[in-house]
Formats: sequence, structure tokens, C-alpha cells
Amino acid sequence: MPDFNVRSDSVNVEQIMEQIRGRIREKRGVDYTEQQIRELAAVKLEKFLDPRGVRSDLLDQFRKAQPAYEPPELPNFAFEDATLFESHRAPIRWIRKLLMPLLKLLFNPNPLIQALNIQSRLNTINAERDARREAARRQMDQLYYELVHNLVVETTRTGIEVKNLKMRVESIASRLEFNERRARALEGAVVYRSTEPDEPRPQRPAPQIPQPRQQPPPRPQQQQQQPRYTPPQPSYTAPVPVAPPTQTAIAPPAAVTEQPPQAQGAGVPGEGPGQRSRRRRRRRGRRGGGAASTMMGAPSAAQPGATNAPGTVESIDQMDAMDRMDDDGSPDSEEMHDAAAEQVEQTGIAEADHAASTAEPPAVDQAPVEHAHVEQPRVELVAPLPAAPSATESSSVAPAEPAAAPPPARDPADHDPQ
Amino acid sequence: MKIAVVVQRYGQAINGGAELHARYIAEHLARHGQVEVLTTCSTDYVTWRNELEPGVEQVNGVPVRRFKVKHERDPLVFGKRSDRVFEQLHSLGDELDWLDAEGPTSPALIDYITKHASDYDYCLFFSYRYYHAYYGARASRGRAILVPTAERDETIGLSIFQPLFRGVRAIMYNSPEERAMIHAVAGNESVPGVVVGIGSDVPNNPQAARFRQKYNIRGPFAVYVGRIDQNKGCKELFEFFDGYLKDPAGKLSLVLIGNTLLPIPEHKRIRHLGFLDDTDKFEAMAAADALIMPSYYESLSMVALEAWALGRPVLANGKCDVLKGQCLRSNAGLFYETLGEFIGTLEAIEQNRWLAGSLGRNGRQYFKDNYDWPVIERKYLDMFERLKNEVPGPGGDPLPGWFDRRRQDLPAAQDVLAKLPKGPAGRHG
Repeated sequence: MPDFNVRSDSVNVEQIMEQIRGRIREKRGVDYTEQQIRELAAVKLEKFLDPRGVRSDLLDQFRKAQPAYEPPELPNFAFEDATLFESHRAPIRWIRKLLMPLLKLLFNPNPLIQALNIQSRLNTINAERDARREAARRQMDQLYYELVHNLVVETTRTGIEVKNLKMRVESIASRLEFNERRARALEGAVVYRSTEPDEPRPQRPAPQIPQPRQQPPPRPQQQQQQPRYTPPQPSYTAPVPVAPPTQTAIAPPAAVTEQPPQAQGAGVPGEGPGQRSRRRRRRRGRRGGGAASTMMGAPSAAQPGATNAPGTVESIDQMDAMDRMDDDGSPDSEEMHDAAAEQVEQTGIAEADHAASTAEPPAVDQAPVEHAHVEQPRVELVAPLPAAPSATESSSVAPAEPAAAPPPARDPADHDPQ
Repeated sequence: MKIAVVVQRYGQAINGGAELHARYIAEHLARHGQVEVLTTCSTDYVTWRNELEPGVEQVNGVPVRRFKVKHERDPLVFGKRSDRVFEQLHSLGDELDWLDAEGPTSPALIDYITKHASDYDYCLFFSYRYYHAYYGARASRGRAILVPTAERDETIGLSIFQPLFRGVRAIMYNSPEERAMIHAVAGNESVPGVVVGIGSDVPNNPQAARFRQKYNIRGPFAVYVGRIDQNKGCKELFEFFDGYLKDPAGKLSLVLIGNTLLPIPEHKRIRHLGFLDDTDKFEAMAAADALIMPSYYESLSMVALEAWALGRPVLANGKCDVLKGQCLRSNAGLFYETLGEFIGTLEAIEQNRWLAGSLGRNGRQYFKDNYDWPVIERKYLDMFERLKNEVPGPGGDPLPGWFDRRRQDLPAAQDVLAKLPKGPAGRHG
């Protein structure tokens, strides 16, 4: 009987492990084992300790600032067995030598001579050792300096990398934030539709039906269809003034004539292959006009009197995102896109109109309050309106908080065929 | 056919790897012949204290003959002698002293084997590292079959065991890695040997849902079964699982089954259930998404085999050659060496159902082909048959003399171990 029978089926653990390791390398960088880390650390240390691997003019400066070491001349004396009896005068030297036995009879000078001789030798040895130590210490200082210098370089490099990584994190965070806001906008659009289950969902017209681009619908009809976008919040149905006469000044006739009959209520009619790109071009043409805060539904968008700011990166990004949605091609995403695009564009255009009305003198001298211009499009969106209060009331009631921000108003000038 | 199974401890409640291995083998071979177990009176592998009565008793229908242990283990002496033989240049006498200190020192058992070895056709000695195997195999020369259960630790580098590996009639290995290691250290390629391992009585239909309900465990989880000990790699397991918990993609919890010698990390996704009976253990494995086996030293890992028998993938420590080799041969488990690999492999098993299912199926098939009881029994019976037709060899080397035992010329065991080949054996063992 064989030791082992192996059936590999369709799974190969070796290959799977290779794939997993490859994925880890992609995701987290190289995943070193403990042994590899030790080897790398040793290599790094060798590089540190190799003076040829050090590039530093600071090192030269350090060497210049530190003079070469010269061992100091320490006081010392040589002491041999005849040192005590030496003299530069020969007779004295002769007498001392003659009397040496007598001296040795009185006391033994040898231990004294020996001790002093040893002390002398010790002094010499110590001086040499100190000199050697000092030289070695200075060499080590240089090495330490090199090490510290390289550590500083490495730390700097690491700091730069950390900074880069922080910037990447911030960038990703901002993109995430944008995506979340976009998702909220799209979810809001979906909610608007789902809040009216009883209303018959308009069917897409057959493709062969020609788009009545040259036959603008009557305004009342458009207004009747717009309540489909009524938000569920009760604050959205706040009483607002009826359409003031400035509406005619706000809505250019040419724009109105381009409004297709199913622009609001009919959902997404069948569109030709060029319509999507035309819509995209129009949107791009408008990008410079609307304030980003308006487009994103920020609180300032609902504030009356807000100035018209140039298009920001976020608004452009949002438009780009919608462009990408255009390319999706799925009916659901198109519907969501349409709703979101309407929101964005209406809000932006309403802001633009409002700014135009505040900047220019009104064509008809009857604009009661500036806020009325802002609230005015809202009148068209809110379907079951109670008795219209005065313009001043509406301006005071008009919510300015982001939570109660009204849905983007439909601008009559919007001539998007969708 | 009459067979003696000689093991250091034996009993229903003893769950050590080699002891359980011996009991399973004894009980299954008892269906094919007359089996008697020769063992000691101790139940504690740390002290070898005599806790059971000497004499003969029946355990699951198998007669068990117990002998007293002469002296308990002194941990201080044993530690000192271990340091000596594992880390320093030493003599053969030092190694024999180490063996005596390790225990279970039971001269009565050895005397019985010396007198009655001829009553048995074969004597199966379990665990090469203990007193009973070293002296018992010498006493029953010509009839000794060794089940080494060797792990890659310093003990394998001791010189006294090389004649043992060369002197027995046959060796029943647990894994190809174990065989390669013993061949490398003892040069005993001529000794008949076969990789056998051990089977397990895994239930056919474990109730995973019952386990979840009983222990209130919800959601996917990985299970660890065994002693929760640093030597079993559990410390590293906790560190790695902590890293896994920080990965938001991972949803697995960790369920720990077994007695603990380590503090368990406090986390809502780590549950310690303590020691469970076999029913609960198998149900836990059946309910788990994977079994984690973090041990560095294993000669077989019965738990991994049981998980494979239940169709569950295994995530093993790749630093253990045996476990890595088992995973590669079976194509039924993944392995890790670093934190990144641990997270990556665990997530692969967790998130790729096809992979987990395929690994589980391969494991079930691997167990069926190699570790089902009929396969194991057949390998033993084939070996007995083979040995019956072979003339016994000269046996092992004689015991060294007085001077030889005192010559300080043996290298440290850890140096010997370092020179042994590493890595898993080939795909086909």
C-alpha cells in the first residue's frame, strides 16, 4: 500500500498561497518574515557603518571643527636602580658609589628604588593607554556622528513619506466625502419618486414617437406635473407666495419653448443617441454658473440673498459623476440621473436667476422682496399649496437650515429635453 | 497474534497526543489479535506521580497492565540536565541522566518486558523520547516496533536515540516529514518503515446547529481545539487574530476549545469554551468555517485530521513542517507564517466559499484515503506480515561502557537539530 494517495481536485494550495502572497504584496507591500526583517536590518546597518556609503559635507565640517588629536605631554620621570646616586659631577658620583655599602648597611634602598621604578613604568603605560583611548573615542565620535547624521536623513525621508501618506489620506477622505454626498443626493431623488406610489408612473414613449422639441408645452401643464417632486417633509409645503410677475422675467421665452412636454412628469422618454451627449454638453456649458453649495444642497443654497459663486471643483465633480452615469445606460440609473440632474440644475439655475434678479434692476418694478425670487420656483414644485401668504411671510418662514432645505426648484428656463 | 502496546500513560481520560494515539491503535488492533497494554501508574506527564493502582485492568475491552514509577520527575533537575544536553558539549552519561530525569522511570516495566517479551509477537513502543521506549526497545529486541511521534525539537538531536532508531524492527511514522527527519538524524533507511498516522472516530452527522444553540454562538467563526498554550502557538495566534480583527473585511470570530495556560484576550469576537467532550468538539468543528492550528511542533495533529474528516478547511502554522506538508499533500488547508499571510489566508477561506468548500472536500477525501481506520489497520497488519517474513537484524548498538559514557564529545542537541533538513516533504510524501 502506498504511503499516501493524493487527489488534488481542482484546488492547488501552492498556487493559492502564491496568489494570496501576491495579493498581500499588492495590498500591503512586501510582507517580510522575521528572518527577512533581520537580514534587512543587518544590511541597513552595514550600509550605515560603511563610511563610503555616507555622503555628507557635514562630516567634513565636523572634522574641520575637531582638530586632530595629539596626546598631551604628561610629566613623568624615569627611575632606574642608579638614579638615586647619579650626579653630573664625577667625584661626587665616585664618593656615592664608594659609600654605597655603608648606606646599605644603614637601610635598604632597593624597595624604594623598585617602587619608584614601577610607578614610573605605570605612569608611562597609563599615558599610552589614555592616548590610545582618546584616539579611539574620537574615532567613535566620528562614527556616531555619521550614524546620527544618517538617522536624521532617514528620519527626514520617513517624515516626507508620512506627509505624503497623510496627503493621500486626506485626498481619499475628501473623495469619500464627495461620494457620500453624491449618494445622498441620488438617494434623495429616489425617495422623491418612491413617495408617490399612487401616481401612475409615466411610461417611456416609444422610440418612434418624435420628440416635440419645437412644441413647448403650456406652462400650467408643466406645473401640474411638477408635484411629482414634492418632498415628503412637511416643511417643503410651507406656504409660499404664488408666482409673482417676475417669473416672466426669470423664464426666458426661448428657454420655455425648448422645454419638452414630458420634461417633468413624463419621466425619461426615449432619447436618441445624441441627446445624452447634448445634455452633457449643455451641462458642461453651465458649469461655471452655479454655486457648488447650491448644487450640493448646502445650507447656503437655501439662504436668500446668497451670491452667485463660480463653479467649484465639487460641482464639476458632481457633473462629471453624472456624465459617468450617462454612460451607464441602465434605465434605473438614467432615471436616478435625471432626477439628480434636475435637482442640481434647477437649484443652480434658480440661484443664477436669483442673482441676476438681485444684480440687475427688475424689468418689472414689482418685486416685493428678494426672497420671493428664491421661493418663487418652489411654488411650482409644491403641489397642494395652502392659501398663499404674503411675500414677507414667506420670507420669514422660508427655512434656511440645511435639514429643512427645500428640494431644488424647477427653473422654467430649464429646457432639458429629459 | 499477540501484541504489546507500551506507552508512558494510558487511560480513558488521558488525552495527550501520543497516549490517545496508542489507545486508538490498541483498541483497533484488538479486533485483529490479542492486545495487551503495558504502561505506568501515572496520569500526569509533568510529575509522573503514581496515581493508579499497579496490576491489570480493562479499558474499553483491552487489558492494561500497570507498573509503578520509581521516582517522580524533579523539574529543577530535569531543567538543569536539559540545559546541559541541549545547549552544551556533553557526554553520553549526561544524556542517560537526562532520560532518567525525564521519566517515567519504571524499572519494573522494563523488567517485565525483559522477562515476557517472548510472549508477544511484537511490542509497539509509543514516543521515542521516554524512558520506557529507550530501555523497553532494548529489552524486547527483535520484537520492538517504534511509533516515534517525533517532533522537530532538541530531543531528536540527542545521541542516545540514534541506536534506538536503528535497532528496532520497524518504525511506524506519522508523517513523511517525521520520517525524513529521523532518517537524517539516525541514518536508519534500512529499517522497515511506513507512514501511517492515525484515524479518528468522527461522527457521521455532527449537529452543528445544536452546538451553536448550546453555546449561543452566532455568525461565522474559526475554531481552535487543543491546549491553549504558548508552546502550541496560541500566543502568536492571539496576536495575529488581533490584527485580523482590525481588518474591517473580516467577520470571523475565534472560538477556543481546551484548557488554557494563557490569558485569553478580552474581545467580543473571541470565545473560550473550555474543555469539551468529543461530541461537542466535533459539532464545534462541523459548525466552524475553518480550524486554525497554530502549533509550531506537531508530529501529526489529530485535530487537523478530524477537521478534514468533517470537511472543514484548516489554516495551519507554516513554520511547522508537518502541518505545512499535510496542507500541501492534501490540498485541503492553507498556511501562514506572517500576520499578513494569516489575515490573507483567513479572509480567503472566509470570503471565497468555493475555495473553502473545495478545501473541505479535499480534506474529507484525504482523510478517507489515508487516515480512515481500515487504511490504518491495514498498514499495521501489512507491516506485521512483512516482519513475519523477514529475519530480525542484529539489533541496536550495545549500551556504552563506563569510559564511553563519560567522554565529553557529544555536540549540543540544538546544534544537531539545526543541521537537520527543513521544510515539508514532497507532495507525495
